[in-house]
Amino acid sequence: MRTGAAAGHTGYFHEAIFFDSDEHLLAVVLPFLLGGVEAGEPAVVGFGQRNADLVRRALPPDSGVTFLPGGDVYVRPTAAIRSYRQLLASYVADGAQQIRIVGELPTAGLGSTWDWWARYESAINHAYDDFPLWSMCAYDTRIASEQVLEDVARTHPRVALPDGTHLPIGVYTEPRSYLTEPRPMLLDPVQRSAPMVELTDPTPAQARAAVYTADRGQLPADDVEDLVVAVSETVTNALRHGRPPMRMSIWSADDRIVVAVNDAGEGPADPFAGLLPATSGSPGGLGLWISYQSCNHVAMHRGPEGFTLRLTAGNPHFPV
Amino acid sequence: MTSDVATSTAYGHICFAYDDPATLDSRAVAFLAAGLAAGEQVWFVAPGTRDALARRLDGLPGLDDSLRRGAARLVSTGQTYRADEPFDPETQVRAYAAATEAALAAGHTGLRLVAEATLLVRTPAQRNVFARYEHLIDRYMHRRPMSAICAYDRRELGEPAIAELACMHPETNANVLFRLHSCGPAEGAVALAGELDPSNHRLFAAALERADLRPVDGELVVEAARLRFIDHRCLMQLRDHARRLGVTAVLRTSRSAAARLVELLDLADIRVEVTR
Repeated sequence: MRTGAAAGHTGYFHEAIFFDSDEHLLAVVLPFLLGGVEAGEPAVVGFGQRNADLVRRALPPDSGVTFLPGGDVYVRPTAAIRSYRQLLASYVADGAQQIRIVGELPTAGLGSTWDWWARYESAINHAYDDFPLWSMCAYDTRIASEQVLEDVARTHPRVALPDGTHLPIGVYTEPRSYLTEPRPMLLDPVQRSAPMVELTDPTPAQARAAVYTADRGQLPADDVEDLVVAVSETVTNALRHGRPPMRMSIWSADDRIVVAVNDAGEGPADPFAGLLPATSGSPGGLGLWISYQSCNHVAMHRGPEGFTLRLTAGNPHFPV
Repeated sequence: MTSDVATSTAYGHICFAYDDPATLDSRAVAFLAAGLAAGEQVWFVAPGTRDALARRLDGLPGLDDSLRRGAARLVSTGQTYRADEPFDPETQVRAYAAATEAALAAGHTGLRLVAEATLLVRTPAQRNVFARYEHLIDRYMHRRPMSAICAYDRRELGEPAIAELACMHPETNANVLFRLHSCGPAEGAVALAGELDPSNHRLFAAALERADLRPVDGELVVEAARLRFIDHRCLMQLRDHARRLGVTAVLRTSRSAAARLVELLDLADIRVEVTR
């Protein structure tokens, strides 16, 4: 039996918190967590250091609430889905009737990489729907931009308010619609300079070799290896499923390597491409899913010039 | 041409693809001359009469003298690979092993040969058998003082057919991204070099099967220090191959990305050991 606002609900009960003060955040989160503990449900906090400390101090000692270590789970959206699904599956295997989680993205995730986190927030309505999960995603309205808050509203079916009420959000949009809408791709400032390498219709081997030429030792070797994996998969997908010509451009900056692969095709038809492994065997799905976990940012864009996938190794954060 | 041919393993089993027979002849002359200088017995194995073969080695210093002394031999293809019988890899390896031991007994330091084998690999079925042979003889060459250039005519066979054979050699000038070859028993069951990606995953599966690898203590250890790239498909193929043998695949590589792929995909029956 599920308890609280999600009682009687099947699958994922996904809420947003739009808070503007510590008091507001605690007024929503504390009853949520303590209600879960009281009902014998796992109650989990996936907050960054500051807000985790805030909640920990406000809870009674030995509250029974679980705090996930650090903010590690929110490094890459596809990895977050993977680790949360593993966590949820283990709770269900242990007999949990409902799992309660509050989470927040690191502030850096609300900037130039927000696009893939917005896709995450939408996709998890589907990706966690096979679990009895009630979760709240907290957004600080003093920090998040208008665009971020609009995306949060469109990807969360409900909002949890400090007075204990839970209201539907009118602009909520089903993931299959939301994820197929065209999104602009923010230009990484390094893309304003001439690429270090430009190739037309390279083989995957040529594309891999080109990444190594852009490596000036500015990134750890493992990060370069992972970028090579992602580029190889992306170029393979473009050759197999895209439409020629395929163009690959590489920029090498002091703290990152950026690779854009463009082809004249439509890009993947699967709305969850990259975020979930291709369950329906959709073409190229596994390679894209691997790419999403091998880079610090992946951006996708469909436009008159076809489909572009941009991969960033190193620091993907630039001023927006 | 793969970039690491020059730094490849030293035991000397080379696949040489050519378009112009003259390039093969000059490569053969240099290769066999080095063998003679090192006190090895050298053979030139190719179709044609003895005189025709001698003419092809025209530039080899002291050829006549070496032929008289028995340090050099010209072997018409029919004499060593019998075209009238089905080619049997194990029989052929035994023949070369006997020739190597005979050369050693006669006071040479080993056996070195250039073999033009295009005639023997014209059909897919022939290539399947001959690729198995290439790995068997590669194992022999790895442990005994025999070395060889296996030459294939690109005009006649085409690149994909040559790739089937070239990938079974530690060294090649052919356009093939990966190579599967012998290593010492302490290093593993087999060595992998180059790059494995979607362009060659079928060829990789065929090469694994043709090499007929022998696991030890429940593990199929692959020495992959010179493997520059492996994608998830080829990791899964290696895993599947080990599964069919009822063992765990162990990939020893300096590339940490392979270990992360195995973890990401939750692959069982394969382990990546990152050696740096």
